[in-house]
Amino acid sequence: MINYHPNEQLLALHIAGELPLSMSIAISAHAELCSICQQNLNQLNDAASDEAFQITNSTAEIDTDMSDMLEQLMSTTLDDLDNYHGRAEPDGVDHVTIKGDTFKIPRALRQQVNHPWQGIGKVSRLRLDTGEDKARASLLHIAANGEIPEHTHKGTELTLLLAGEFFDEFNSYQPGDFILLDENHQHSPKTIDGCLCYTIVDAPLYFTKGFSKLLNPIGELIY
Amino acid sequence: MENIQPQTAQNRYDRTMNVKRNGAIKVSNKNELGPEQLSELMINVANSRCKASFAKLFNHFGAKINSFGNQRLHQQGLAMDLVQETMTRVWTKAHLYNPDKAAVSTWVFTIMRNQCFDMLRKVQHNKEDAFGDDIWPLFDSDDAENNEDDFKLTGTLLQHVNDLPPLQRQIVQGIYMQEMTQQELADKLNIPIGTVKSRLRLGLEKLKGFMEKHYD
Ligand SMILES: [Zn+2]
Repeated sequence: MINYHPNEQLLALHIAGELPLSMSIAISAHAELCSICQQNLNQLNDAASDEAFQITNSTAEIDTDMSDMLEQLMSTTLDDLDNYHGRAEPDGVDHVTIKGDTFKIPRALRQQVNHPWQGIGKVSRLRLDTGEDKARASLLHIAANGEIPEHTHKGTELTLLLAGEFFDEFNSYQPGDFILLDENHQHSPKTIDGCLCYTIVDAPLYFTKGFSKLLNPIGELIY
Repeated sequence: MENIQPQTAQNRYDRTMNVKRNGAIKVSNKNELGPEQLSELMINVANSRCKASFAKLFNHFGAKINSFGNQRLHQQGLAMDLVQETMTRVWTKAHLYNPDKAAVSTWVFTIMRNQCFDMLRKVQHNKEDAFGDDIWPLFDSDDAENNEDDFKLTGTLLQHVNDLPPLQRQIVQGIYMQEMTQQELADKLNIPIGTVKSRLRLGLEKLKGFMEKHYD
């Protein structure tokens, strides 16, 4: 049974599309393994769509732009789209193989596995390129009877267990467990059978505030 | 359609609650359509590539998407891009819409939020990546487009095939009774294979609906 879930605030920010890519990947991957959170997300999605579509602010100018766009769609674009069969959307990968073990990975990760594994001893890491300055997202594999030396976190550390098991001073964990630890925690995860995790190491606050609240992306571009 | 009634009633209730909670006033709009009308239009687009239905969906959602884009993207040009990107996907992804799983407005919202996410990343990181639909699938059972294993049907379900609408019945019978491939059916009926898939999906979902109703 999954014992650790993302909290309500993270789920709501995820549905709003306001979390950084690294964190939304984690929530989506957790929900693929956790039907409870998937149901919560479905309900939040319904509520968010009701709220988003409640009000229409329109002006004569917007109305004109809209009817121009519709005319273009109706006269050519829709037919072009139906006749265009060349577009192949990237499928990405649905599994990773490390040290002879193959793991199925969640859908949210399928376009993200673009780098080789790197590692020392029983610990291997595959860095993801999410384009975020602060967050560092990776797939982490620990081979059977491996461990990560005791460490503290400068910021928040997220570990989403995707396969296998591991345990630390606090608990033992199962696939799907979503473990968010702040800088006050020290731990040294160990595994007996081996495990595959998705991890993010990050500065504090970045995750839980929603990135558009912290920095206006357009503002960042202009100023 | 009977099997989506309870969900529709629930949506109405939620909408009233939302208006009260936010104290927002809904601006009346001659293009406003109810959930059943939207669902019908969406199915026309999926099954018959009906442009007139698409135009009604556009008139219902276009200005709403534009409003959302203005709040989120802070730039009029980008908001119009969001309308364009969202509505063209409503057209090209129509076969993924499943009336038993979500209201049309929820589905369109999902497309819009995903596009908005990708557009914000483009602005921030200058990256042409498109990850939104991987993170928030447009269809919750995933990979409806290319997963043939999805289409499984038991003998009990087949008893209800005659209760299906004709266009869906034709496809379900072709696949399961005459053992034609989806491509063969597409060629025979002179329709795109996407339409075969969407009719098959709608038909199977409806059959499952019959089952839930009669055997619960
Ligand atoms: Zn959960």
